[in-house]
Amino acid sequence: MVVYFIAIMLFGSYFGRYTKNTSDFFFGGRRFSWWLITMSIVATGVGSHSFVKYSAKGFEHGISSSMTYLNDWFFIPFFMFGWLPIIVYSKIRSIPEYFEKRFSPSARFLATILLLLYMIGYIGIGFLTLGKAVIPMLPEAFTVFGMTLPITLMGAIIVIAVITGVYITFGGQTAVIFTDLLQGFILLFAGFLLFFFGITYLGGFDMFWNLLPTEWKLPLADFNQPANFNFVGIFWQDAIAGSIGFLFMNQGLIMRFMACKNVNEGRKAAAVNILFVLPISAIVVGNAGWIGKAISVVSPDIISPSVSPDQIFVVVANIIASPGMFGFIMAALTAALMSTVDTLINATAAIFINDVYRPIQRFFKRNVMSDIERDRKELLAARYASIGVTALGVLAVLAFKNFPTVYEAHGYFHSTLTPPLVVGIFLGVFWKRFTPAAVITTFVGGVALMILGARYPGILIAPFDHGIEMNPDHPYSYIRALYNILVCSGAAVIVTLTTQWQRKLITAIREKQNQKMIMNMMVAITVMVFAVVLFNVSVLSVQVLATIAVLILVPLTVTYYVKYDENINTNGLTASSIDVARNLFKGGNPNDQEGEKVFVNLKQVDGDDTVIHFSTKDMAMMKAAVGDLVYISDKRKWMGGLKSIHSVFGAPHDEDGTVYITPDQIKHGLFVEGKILEAEKEM
Amino acid sequence: MNFTHTWLPFIYLYGLGGILFVFGIIITIKSGSFDLSRKAHKKWMWVLLFGFVWYLMMHVLMTWAALDIISAYTVPIVLLGMVVVFIIVMLKLRKIR
Repeated sequence: MVVYFIAIMLFGSYFGRYTKNTSDFFFGGRRFSWWLITMSIVATGVGSHSFVKYSAKGFEHGISSSMTYLNDWFFIPFFMFGWLPIIVYSKIRSIPEYFEKRFSPSARFLATILLLLYMIGYIGIGFLTLGKAVIPMLPEAFTVFGMTLPITLMGAIIVIAVITGVYITFGGQTAVIFTDLLQGFILLFAGFLLFFFGITYLGGFDMFWNLLPTEWKLPLADFNQPANFNFVGIFWQDAIAGSIGFLFMNQGLIMRFMACKNVNEGRKAAAVNILFVLPISAIVVGNAGWIGKAISVVSPDIISPSVSPDQIFVVVANIIASPGMFGFIMAALTAALMSTVDTLINATAAIFINDVYRPIQRFFKRNVMSDIERDRKELLAARYASIGVTALGVLAVLAFKNFPTVYEAHGYFHSTLTPPLVVGIFLGVFWKRFTPAAVITTFVGGVALMILGARYPGILIAPFDHGIEMNPDHPYSYIRALYNILVCSGAAVIVTLTTQWQRKLITAIREKQNQKMIMNMMVAITVMVFAVVLFNVSVLSVQVLATIAVLILVPLTVTYYVKYDENINTNGLTASSIDVARNLFKGGNPNDQEGEKVFVNLKQVDGDDTVIHFSTKDMAMMKAAVGDLVYISDKRKWMGGLKSIHSVFGAPHDEDGTVYITPDQIKHGLFVEGKILEAEKEM
Repeated sequence: MNFTHTWLPFIYLYGLGGILFVFGIIITIKSGSFDLSRKAHKKWMWVLLFGFVWYLMMHVLMTWAALDIISAYTVPIVLLGMVVVFIIVMLKLRKIR
């Protein structure tokens, strides 16, 4: 495992040579093929829904542990033809940036806070899972230079965090994509290897299948029981909140799709991943639990039915694999978890740079430097941010340590933190009338209602519980997602539909002499009533009244202070204006004629770095005109676009089969003279 | 086996999920971002519908296998058949480009 860790660290750090600027660091230069992104997403997705927690649920409840992997298709039309083209064509670098363009800087500020909480919490859960996985394999203490040092959960997490932090800090997104590509293959292989060993150990597939009770073989859990694993709760927590969260607001995943060479490649990556790779991953991550259950039925002396579910993966692997293979499987397990964490660290650093560092620099007017100098400083800041985020992720572990299983910690975390942002993004993309007042009320008023629900679940969440029994220690871990989505959506829809009333009232206030005093008082009252809810002051009825006050005052305050023009702010940022987004992306009308790809040799010339030149004949084959966008890459498919650039067609020449390209473009695309290049018109 | 553990979750998943899925297709078509007059988007419509049926079949077959209505071996065989059909259709759609 030590060798594996060092190898991965060096492999990831090697890709630092492909990182020249912040675009490379965060988006890998937007150049990769769909298959490369698909495989790198495997490692991220499987890591986040780790071997540990799905094996645990597989051991407790059987094959229905796979259901969270098989329910992501319902939102794919919204993603492929709504969110994905918008994020690519609008050239946003982070999700909060979308909120500023679509709504206002204040919406971006609140989205940044929520998203950072979400991402750092996610990193914390990743580290916790890693720690829980490796601790059973380590001795209680070790001796160095005569000193005996105890091995603790937090100690193990810190060591892993340092290793992960190193290659992220030096390698950036390209390092993440390539280490995840490697780890994706390794963990799929290791998962199937374990399944094979398990089936062989039990005496064949028929034996395994017949040992499982019928309820363990069903693909979906019981509708509403038990409280810690039921279908309807997990449907709302995972299939709805989780799927939208996964596709729409997971900055790590979004950055992967943005690293694709174009929108269509992103669609392919998403489709192949959800259709084929997720079902395979469901077997890979859950089978140790199923095998463990079968062994516990036939030999309870080997695996006791009372073994801790979070340890079942390690226990099963240790029993059915030989020592060498056990080491390999454990390395794959940690690889999966590292892959999730590395993606999240890189993504959180991107949010920090884009939504905290740059706005602060703008505020202090520190932009009086050249683009190259600014990019150099931002790249350095991005690397420091990766280190800081890693440290905060380790601290976040403390918040989740006391949940009975990682699965429940993750479910509770997901159903609590995703709904406000999910509603904000979803309605922002698909509802042109959705206003800044509505989105900010969703963030503030929705959160107030969610706090009330968390505080009084027996009164507020119970009406939506579908008959699930409330566990007083962890009430409604999953079905709270339904309540949270409903209250956030409700706040969003009501505020949007009452926009005219808000405007009339604010117009009346603007006509008054003491308008500023009225608005200052309104802000002060809003802060006070929100504090009543936040700090649990007084009884439920008072807190409900305070929440209603928040829901009324926040939209009025936003309507007064925020300048918003629906036509300008939605242009190219909603599903109904994607054609506008395409025009803005290209800087002119897209050329939709379908041409062919051409293969060319490169010829180094000095000239304008923003264009490349093909022959008239080659341009005709591509159906391209001067000013159209072009993607040119090394012909070798297996490189997945690693050596490539995007550019613009310049004036044509007469040398067929040759592209004129500048030294800077050659350097950025890592092209090698003598190697054939493949060119295609974009859009 | 209890209905609440066999078919009720299935009906809930594909009933509510199906409504959301169809709503997603309709809203993206109406907004113009999913444009079925473009050949490339027609291919995507096929992929979307295949995906829905693919998952629905997966859950139906796994439930039947769990209830011993079909052999467990039938599940991967039928699913592999569906993958073959998917690949053939995708290749045909590529040719008519």
